Amino acid sequence: MSLSLVAPLALGLLALVALPIIAHIARQKPKERVPFGAMLLLERVQKRLRRRRRIKDPLLLLLRLLMVALVALAISGLQWSYQGGTPQFGGTGRVIILIDQSMSMSLADGGRTLLEVAKSEADQVLEAIPDGTLVGAIVFGDEAELLSEGLVRDSSRIRSRIAALGPTLGKSNLRSGLLEARRMLEGEPGEIYLFSDEAGPTMVPEASEELRRIVSGGSAVIPKQIRANPPRNIAVADASFGTGVEGGTIDVRVSNYGPEPLEVPCEVTFPDGQSIPFFADLPPEGEIVERLTVPRAADGGVGKAHCEDVDLAADNERFFHLPRVGASSVLVVDGDPGDTPIRSEVYFLERALAPWGDRRGAVRPEVVGAAGLLSLNPERHQVVFLANVSDPRPYTPAITEFVRQGGALVVSMGTNVDPERYNTSMSHLLPASIRRVEDLAARGEMGVPLEVPGTDIELFEPFTRSGRSAFQEVRSRRLAMLQPYQDSAEVSTLLRYSGGAPALVQRTVGQGTVLLWTSSVDYDWSSLPTQAVFMPLVQRVVGYLGADSGGSAGTFDGVVGRSVAIPLPDLTVQPSVTGPDGNAVPTRLEGSTLVFTPNRPGAYSVSVEALPTIAWVAANLDASESDVRTYDDFARSEAEIKPDLFTRVVDLSPYLWAGALLLMFGIVLLGLPVLSSRSEEEAA
Amino acid sequence: MSRSAQPIWSPEVLGRVRRLHLVARVLTNALLQGEHRSQRVGSAIEFADYQPYLPGMDLRHLDWKVMGRSDALVVKRFETETQIPTTIVLDLSKDLATGAHGGRSSWWRRSGALPGELPDLEQTKAGFAIQLAATLAYFFQLHGEPVGLEIVAGDSSGVTSLPPRSGRHALQRIFLALAAVKPDGQADLRAALTRVGERMRRRSLVMVISDGMEEPSGWVPSMQAFARRKADIRFVHLYEPSEWGLDFDRAVRLFSPEDGVELALDPAAARDVIRDIAREYVAEVRLGIAAYGGLYCLTPCFVGDEQRRQLALEYAARRVILGMSTGADVDPFDAMADGAAP
Repeated sequence: MSLSLVAPLALGLLALVALPIIAHIARQKPKERVPFGAMLLLERVQKRLRRRRRIKDPLLLLLRLLMVALVALAISGLQWSYQGGTPQFGGTGRVIILIDQSMSMSLADGGRTLLEVAKSEADQVLEAIPDGTLVGAIVFGDEAELLSEGLVRDSSRIRSRIAALGPTLGKSNLRSGLLEARRMLEGEPGEIYLFSDEAGPTMVPEASEELRRIVSGGSAVIPKQIRANPPRNIAVADASFGTGVEGGTIDVRVSNYGPEPLEVPCEVTFPDGQSIPFFADLPPEGEIVERLTVPRAADGGVGKAHCEDVDLAADNERFFHLPRVGASSVLVVDGDPGDTPIRSEVYFLERALAPWGDRRGAVRPEVVGAAGLLSLNPERHQVVFLANVSDPRPYTPAITEFVRQGGALVVSMGTNVDPERYNTSMSHLLPASIRRVEDLAARGEMGVPLEVPGTDIELFEPFTRSGRSAFQEVRSRRLAMLQPYQDSAEVSTLLRYSGGAPALVQRTVGQGTVLLWTSSVDYDWSSLPTQAVFMPLVQRVVGYLGADSGGSAGTFDGVVGRSVAIPLPDLTVQPSVTGPDGNAVPTRLEGSTLVFTPNRPGAYSVSVEALPTIAWVAANLDASESDVRTYDDFARSEAEIKPDLFTRVVDLSPYLWAGALLLMFGIVLLGLPVLSSRSEEEAA
Repeated sequence: MSRSAQPIWSPEVLGRVRRLHLVARVLTNALLQGEHRSQRVGSAIEFADYQPYLPGMDLRHLDWKVMGRSDALVVKRFETETQIPTTIVLDLSKDLATGAHGGRSSWWRRSGALPGELPDLEQTKAGFAIQLAATLAYFFQLHGEPVGLEIVAGDSSGVTSLPPRSGRHALQRIFLALAAVKPDGQADLRAALTRVGERMRRRSLVMVISDGMEEPSGWVPSMQAFARRKADIRFVHLYEPSEWGLDFDRAVRLFSPEDGVELALDPAAARDVIRDIAREYVAEVRLGIAAYGGLYCLTPCFVGDEQRRQLALEYAARRVILGMSTGADVDPFDAMADGAAP
């Protein structure tokens, strides 16, 4: 705000203020001196006038001074300049309506959304535009969309298209909107009316460069702020899984962008339908992080955190990945069930897997016969134990696919095992071919002890030194001898007997792992089930094979409106993507990458028909769009680029003239003659 | 009573004496013409003769018995048995040296009120006062009354107090004193009137001719000195209408010749105010005089307008002689408006 003069030299007229002063002084000293014989009356007159004169005299002088000053300033062309809230611009004949259609414009205020208000105000602007004006319209969310093919003279179609606009879940891409507007103007100056809430910390800064180009081109953006008063919104800003006690934790971050503290009900729902409700006690313009404990057992997949909010419902939920947690399903195939449980081949193995029962343990064993392999489910089972199964051939394809997808297979020997059958059907899975079964000691003898496992082997890392020594107590009287093999990247010997015979050999197949235990898991061939290391070894083997993690499906995060790229596994068919509503989502292949764009938040599954899910995509909204507060004033940014656009100049001359006339009128009213006195002595 | 040494009268003073004598005689003749012959009422009176009644005569003096017998209207005439000493108190302070429009008279511009300058008899209020005093002295001397003169302020060449005396010689001395007096100094009416009242004989007639330009609250109470001696008080209040009306066409600096107080004045601003103040002042003086049984005669001088001045002079003398007081309804400025004396 400043004052300026059109003709500064005319300010010299201010020197005329001396005239009233001189006149004031001169009036008190008339030249003519006349003797007067009725001085008594004059003295009484003086007393009566003195009170009036005390007020009137200085006031009169002040009014005269002011009047002269006002006249001088009026002649000088005094102007008042100040920064306006919107650009002082117009008359270009080119008008573009730019409407923000982002998610934050769905914010409700007074029964209407901001978008509805923006549409209404834009319609009013279009209605008021003079005939002959070229008009265009653009709407922008994630991307800009033209509502008119360039600038047109008939705005009726534009108005109908604006009226049909609906809310979107996109982010405010003001930069693209301004870019399209600049293109539409084709280098000519124009006025761009921007209807936006200007919400979020990045909206205005990201568009500043494009704004600079527009302003430099002689155009102006006239912001029409559409804002709730005050803006309120509660959003689930983030939800993520983390390790911890029980089955882990879910951290839910809830943000309050309103000015008042609120308590809202929230709920976290896991992929298997379990849910945990909680209340979020939110501070004004702040956030809280609520940490929830995941149950010991929960299926992997995409979970959802949800909070209640009526102002802007779109961002009330957040999707997150949850690995399979808690008890892992281990399929134990008993090849020698026996007539009593204790005579069963897997009696000791089952108890080593679930020593406290299958509801509390970290591993949930499912003991089945050989036919139970048909129920093998990669989504549910992580490890399969083949214990003394006589003929694996009928189940080899399922076992093979299971291992390729990341499953783990543990094969143990026994009296039922026919090396020939194994070698012919499972040679692509076994670390080495089985040569023959060999007795190392007679019944009643101690057998051959195991060696102490090496410290560099990952499987035995959790074992302490004394724990590893305990492996020497395990003795086997009979074992399956293997064909000679070499340790390699695929095959490695994890444990040997004293003398060098392999005891436990690992092979990596695809994404899976196969372990071959060359003895049995019951008491027939080995003392292992009765040794202290048995249960820790079994538990460790299950953990080592990844049974405590989720399935083999990949996890990806996506943002609504933006492409998600998923690298595909080596498949012969193209997988499909199923959206949160159960419908297929359009996809495309870019090389070996599957690309699709989520159009709403939720869980998207990538799968091949009749096969388990390959990948999960948790799609969410851009969190920045939930912040409905205004960070940067668009007009302020524009004013920084070109302050002249916002400068308002008011010519004060008419007001000064009017003031001078008023003062003159006042002077005439007050300008009654004044009596003043001074004795001769004082005069001398 | 004080008397200074016999002065040596200058030709100018002697010329003024002749002129005063002429004015007094002419005016007295005018006063004695027609039906307005003066008849003072004394404490003891004696029948003289009859005279036919003419309109304007006092009906109390009609002889009802003669009217009943002859149907003729006649009035009885009386003669006073005792002489009433008359004292004329003349205020000749320096303020009275002013005239029309204050001091904008040709005399003031010429003389500048220099010491030793005799006042112009036609151009100053002092001249008006002197001629009125001369007329009254002549009138009462003509009626055989002893007349005295007390000059308050004013330089009268030593003569400031002439006690009441009868005869032409006494009148001549009064005329000489009036011809030689110059307005000067401050009147100090309170002290002067008190002094005169204290040495006055009882039941005297005292005529005070003054502009009264001192605070009435200061000097009016001094009338008590006259009232205490049962004197017949007649106060002639002189004023110049053009002066009281601030008849100036532009702003001037006004100063009092008496004490030098100076006021810068814009006449347009003070004109309405001074009228109100003058009315209040006149009422204050009139009521003050009446409070002591005195007669109040407000008298405009009309200095510079010879015709109106003559009328005012005659009218004032007549009212004083006949004892006609100025009423409360008289506005000093109405007199200026219609040209008639109040």
